[in-house]
Amino acid sequence: MKSHSLAPSDFAGAMAGRINALVALDDAIALIRAGAPLAIAGRKEALDQLPAGNWIGGTTPYFLTAEGGEMIDATRVFVTDFSGLGAVTSHHYDVDALQDITEEAPEHGFALAILPFQSQAHQRFAKEAGQYPLAFLKPTVGWIAGFDLGEEGSSAYVYDGSGSGALSDGAAVLQIHLPEGMMPIVEIVNIFSADGVDTLRFEEASFSPRDVIVNGQKRLFADYIRERGVEGGQLPLVGDYSGARINASLRAVGETTVDLYAPVFPGIDYAFAAPVEDYPSAFAAQFAAHDHDGAMWSCNCILNYLFGGLEGKTVGGVAGPVTFGEIAYQLVNQTLVQVRVI
Amino acid sequence: MALPSKSAPCWQKLANGGLKKLRTTNLGAQMLSQRLEMSKLTPAQKADEVYDFFVKWERGLANEIAQLSSI
Repeated sequence: MKSHSLAPSDFAGAMAGRINALVALDDAIALIRAGAPLAIAGRKEALDQLPAGNWIGGTTPYFLTAEGGEMIDATRVFVTDFSGLGAVTSHHYDVDALQDITEEAPEHGFALAILPFQSQAHQRFAKEAGQYPLAFLKPTVGWIAGFDLGEEGSSAYVYDGSGSGALSDGAAVLQIHLPEGMMPIVEIVNIFSADGVDTLRFEEASFSPRDVIVNGQKRLFADYIRERGVEGGQLPLVGDYSGARINASLRAVGETTVDLYAPVFPGIDYAFAAPVEDYPSAFAAQFAAHDHDGAMWSCNCILNYLFGGLEGKTVGGVAGPVTFGEIAYQLVNQTLVQVRVI
Repeated sequence: MALPSKSAPCWQKLANGGLKKLRTTNLGAQMLSQRLEMSKLTPAQKADEVYDFFVKWERGLANEIAQLSSI
């Protein structure tokens, strides 16, 4: 296990260098007390010990680091430091005020949001964020908090840094102002592409679509999935958003029901993804096509971590939480999200 | 290349299908294009939204702006 180990004298340099790594819990506490604006991810038992300050957090024990993917215990947390930019402020938005994330986002900057998996906020944001009037003028990135899949009955939580503790709903948000002349670039790295077999459409926005239109013919979605042999969930639906590939992943397939990790929407052409043999190689190939100057923050999906066997493996050298959903303007699945500031 | 003025016809063209024809890898532009295609906004409102997007992100849209004259 590797993590930053910071001596008190390291903090000035660390603040200038902007930590984006696993650190010992005591070091995270010291950074908070030093006034650093932070996004923090870790186990609930660790996040519960953090003092009030200018930070937000969310639960997950899974991470990608420059040394490889790993699952951590409660002695460490993952810290992204936003020092040295413009003003950074922490907030909590209730489920009925999620649109205010973009309304109140800085003119020059972006919002970093964390929402708990399976919360009302998760459901609402997933269905509505792409329609917020300022969605593409004031970008939101972020992730869906999760939990240790090996711990039965676990839940996801977020933290707004106010000292109010673990929050099971709403969105914890850092509003990150950037200096004049700097701007955020929101990017996704998606190793999946449409398999080209069928074109799928859905009649309504839903996490649980009953029916699917397959090449113009309406049928039970669960039957179609089984017929295709993709009920294992490794392959997401890939939506064509004017050339952008936006995934919605399978969560469960019942006799007549299908549950997804992100909603499908009417008016979008979907297809199941073609199989990916080697996730690290696929990410490396996709990464080569992207610019990484100014990379500041990223997250990747728990399904990529699990299905791709990313524990102990690096993904393009990026570091960040492994999440139960990713946010790049709207909710996406099985995708690496990255923010660069240029 | 300078951004065309708000009254330039390219914004109406972009808002009514032209955005989808742009060669772009800009995620925001792609998602906005899809939203406008399904939107019930008037053509003028859509054109305003496209114009505001290009003004806001002009520095990162050089390749897209270079294509506007051929839309």
